[in-house]
Amino acid sequence: MKHTLTFLATLLAVLAFLPAAHAAEDKLVLTGSSTVAPLALEIGKRFEAANPGVRVDVQTGGSSRGVADAMNGLADIGLVSRSLKPVEAKTLVAHTIALDGVALIVHAGNPVRQLDDAQIKAIYTGRIRDWRGAGGPDRPITVVSKAEGRSTLELFLHYTGLKNSQVRAQAVIGDNQQGIKTVAGNPGAIGYVSIGAAEYAVEHGIPIRLLPMAGVAATTDAVQRGRFPLTRPLNLVTHGAPSPLAARFIAFAQSPAVRDLIEAQYFVPPPR
Amino acid sequence: MHSVPGDRLFGLALWGAALSVAAVFAWLFVDLARLGLGALSWDFITTAPENAGRDGGIASILVSTLLILGVAVGVAAPVGLGAAVWLNTYTRAGGGTGRRIRLALDGLAGMPSIVFGLFGNAFFSVYLGLGFSILSGGLTLAAMILPVFIRTVEAGLGAVDDGWRRGAAALGLTQSAALAHVILPAAAPAIGAGLMLGIGRAAAETAALIFTSGYVDRMPESLSDSGRALAVHIYDLSMNVAGGDTHAAASALVLVALVACANLLAVALSRRLLTRRLAL
Repeated sequence: MKHTLTFLATLLAVLAFLPAAHAAEDKLVLTGSSTVAPLALEIGKRFEAANPGVRVDVQTGGSSRGVADAMNGLADIGLVSRSLKPVEAKTLVAHTIALDGVALIVHAGNPVRQLDDAQIKAIYTGRIRDWRGAGGPDRPITVVSKAEGRSTLELFLHYTGLKNSQVRAQAVIGDNQQGIKTVAGNPGAIGYVSIGAAEYAVEHGIPIRLLPMAGVAATTDAVQRGRFPLTRPLNLVTHGAPSPLAARFIAFAQSPAVRDLIEAQYFVPPPR
Repeated sequence: MHSVPGDRLFGLALWGAALSVAAVFAWLFVDLARLGLGALSWDFITTAPENAGRDGGIASILVSTLLILGVAVGVAAPVGLGAAVWLNTYTRAGGGTGRRIRLALDGLAGMPSIVFGLFGNAFFSVYLGLGFSILSGGLTLAAMILPVFIRTVEAGLGAVDDGWRRGAAALGLTQSAALAHVILPAAAPAIGAGLMLGIGRAAAETAALIFTSGYVDRMPESLSDSGRALAVHIYDLSMNVAGGDTHAAASALVLVALVACANLLAVALSRRLLTRRLAL
């Protein structure tokens, strides 16, 4: 019992003094999109290596959180994997560091090679419930959509002109890899995910196929040339003009010094 | 004794149930091992993660995990022990206060972990200003494992024979001496079990940690640094990072081993610390 009490007392003492060590020196806090987070983390590591004494902390939570945290000052830089909405652009400034395309994927065993926009809408609103209705085999369609707040969802809704309340999905998922795994495990499924991640999955033998959009093949190459209709920018956003340190970080993240990092995360460096 | 067909069927069903539980675990483990064993090595455990976790190892993540668990258990164990003793010794059986507290504890024990995550983020990270830190994460986990720990220990204390208490009183032991030398040692197995349940739940936690201890995979320098826990790392690698599956499985194997070790340690420690006194 005495040991326990001593331990408790020590612990309380430690707790009492810890906040003193909390004062941040040269620290940048980045929060937001889970898509951008791994890339921001890697850019941050390289930035730290080039600038001793500087620390870059990256936290996830989704693009909506990136916008909110940048607005109320919880983060120095927000991570947002879409364009800013007009109302957000009044107070926030976006700095694009990479591009990402979003494409429809189906199971590799699905003979359907392409869908036109009307068919896509019909499938996602539940008017076509079987692949027979879209030129495929007699097999029910499993519609995979994304959770509210995901920017891939917003991009998809924007492209199709649908509202999220109109989407009739059998599965609502979060991150890209989850979408790929869901479709790879279900011969009747259709979903939409980041092109880079899907290309990687196809190269590594995961049974999915990317469908062209409006006749344009879904490739990172088409995204880079600006030809693919469902393309989104991956942004660093700041509240007004960034602080000097944040400005240096943003310039670094937009420089050729991080091009290999962007490609290593299967995104597309923006054309310069 | 002859066996009735219905009886045999019943026995078969019981066997089936037991077998399927074992099979699920074996399948899970074989699946993890098949995918992750190739990536597992001493280097994997001792080097920092690179390329979003696809390359390198998990050294910093393992350290963060141990620190978060340390804070959680270090806070939950003494507080929980105290609360359990209070509930067991100082509340009347069937009394109103004790009943209400037990009800609250059982309610908290069934709370989804994301609720604790949101609470931890709002209270420890924002209100107390601890930010994204190992301390925030550890304290959130402590709050999460306390209810189960308290109820388990309390049940253990309740199972201690009343004769022992009377014996201690007859010998003129003070209440605290009786607790330290007789009651707690006798309840050591329950305390060990409570710790095991707590560590198991804490080590597997993702939802409560992603908004409290955070996502940073740097080697932590103090408890006020953000540090990524193993479970968060596994979740990110398997759900968010293309090509992260191998390292996700390898990290999961490390997590399984870690939980097994922590459990053995908790049981051994509670036995050693507490039963020694009983022998005196």
